[in-house]
Amino acid sequence: MEAPPVTVMPVTGGTINMMEYLLQGSVLDLALESLLHRLRGLCDNMEPETFTDHELVYLLKGQQGNPFILRARRALSHPNAPWHLRYLGQPEVGDKNRYALVRNCVDVAASHSLPEFLNEMGFRMDHEFVTSGHIFRKGAMKVVVCNVSRVQLPGNTENTERMSNSHLVELSVLAPAGQDTVSEDMRSFAEQLKPLIHLEKIDPSKQRH
Amino acid sequence: NDRSSRVFQQREEKQLEASVDTLISLVAHVKNALQSFIAKLENEYERLTWPSVLDNFALLSGQLNTINRLLKNEKTPSFRSQVIIPLVLSQERDDDLAKLTEKRVPVFSHEIVPDYLRTKPDPEVEEQEKQLSAEAARIGPDAAQKQIQTLNKMCSNLLEKLNNPREDRDAESAASRQNKASFNPSDTNALVAAVAFGKGLSKCRPPGPVAPGIPGQGPMMSGGPTLQQVTIGGAAGQQAGMGGPVAPQQLGQPGKIPSSIKTNIKSASGSIHPYNR
Repeated sequence: MEAPPVTVMPVTGGTINMMEYLLQGSVLDLALESLLHRLRGLCDNMEPETFTDHELVYLLKGQQGNPFILRARRALSHPNAPWHLRYLGQPEVGDKNRYALVRNCVDVAASHSLPEFLNEMGFRMDHEFVTSGHIFRKGAMKVVVCNVSRVQLPGNTENTERMSNSHLVELSVLAPAGQDTVSEDMRSFAEQLKPLIHLEKIDPSKQRH
Repeated sequence: NDRSSRVFQQREEKQLEASVDTLISLVAHVKNALQSFIAKLENEYERLTWPSVLDNFALLSGQLNTINRLLKNEKTPSFRSQVIIPLVLSQERDDDLAKLTEKRVPVFSHEIVPDYLRTKPDPEVEEQEKQLSAEAARIGPDAAQKQIQTLNKMCSNLLEKLNNPREDRDAESAASRQNKASFNPSDTNALVAAVAFGKGLSKCRPPGPVAPGIPGQGPMMSGGPTLQQVTIGGAAGQQAGMGGPVAPQQLGQPGKIPSSIKTNIKSASGSIHPYNR
């Protein structure tokens, strides 16, 4: 099992061994309303939440050529909220018995000086993007429906351009390592969204080229 | 003269009494018929046939007609001109009254009297009714006929739609299945790749001299591969780094980092990487 380098491990344990189970898909803008409608029906009864986040992906290059990656996120709609620093491990596709992608996941809240801090540590920003969309919850499951926009000028989140006419849909659950049963709940939930969208475990390494 | 008027009065009173008695007995008939019908509906609904339900309705309708005929009869004194005044209102329970009304009205109080002795609707309701009938009178018979026709047309259209729902719905869902894909797999892949490692997103260049015309060769890029160029299947390599002999060196480094970074920023040509040794 991969773990973040000891140097950046947070001192407080607790969430250190959490795994993120993930299914991904997308929905065309034409069918977005139908999907949101269905999610409102399927998910926990709550006021639908929207968000607009700016994500900056930082690299720390090691001598082996494999950079260490950290993701810093801030909510554009809540400028005073803390930043969100996230480490994501290598995704494991696993076998047919596990229905979701699994990756190590460490979430930390951070102060607004996070970019400067990361820079001082030797991290460099590799790329950034803006996501904006809706969050739904059903029990431990989280459903995020969002569009992804390029940032035209570095750091300027006013001037962005949509990637495509589709919204990214992610169904995720945070659970301690080894609790593969959560992936079955995720699969049955994903089944209920067919044929509108297909949520699958997509191996990102295959999308590289 | 005085005597004849008294005789007349007496005769009228007798007539009134007789017609009230008839009315009471007719209402009692209706009540009995209703009671037995309700009892049948409640207890024998499994065996009850539609013709017998219709029979019951016919019986009720006949009895109501009889009451109507009696009220319209010339010999029946006009009940409308009779006035009923509640003489005593009381909060006390009245056993006689309860018995008379089959325990429906146990108390003759100010609360229930207005409801039971009411002969006209509430003033507001009366006012509304007046407005409605005035409005109805304003529309000419031709216009009314037209409106009736339109309504009938709409109703029959609606009925038609309700009667053949399957055809329409099948056609609709088939159309939506054929014409509108709700998702696009290549968009999915593009979005996943963008969020995972920034594929298709513009790479960031730190401020500084960038060689014009040579994209992707900014100062930061030359030190190592971009995220997109690195194979993600590098878990094993990192693991080796963690457990291998290199790890202690990494751990021992933090003190050095700031100075080497400064060097790096200054040397914008980028030939020196902080971790290249």
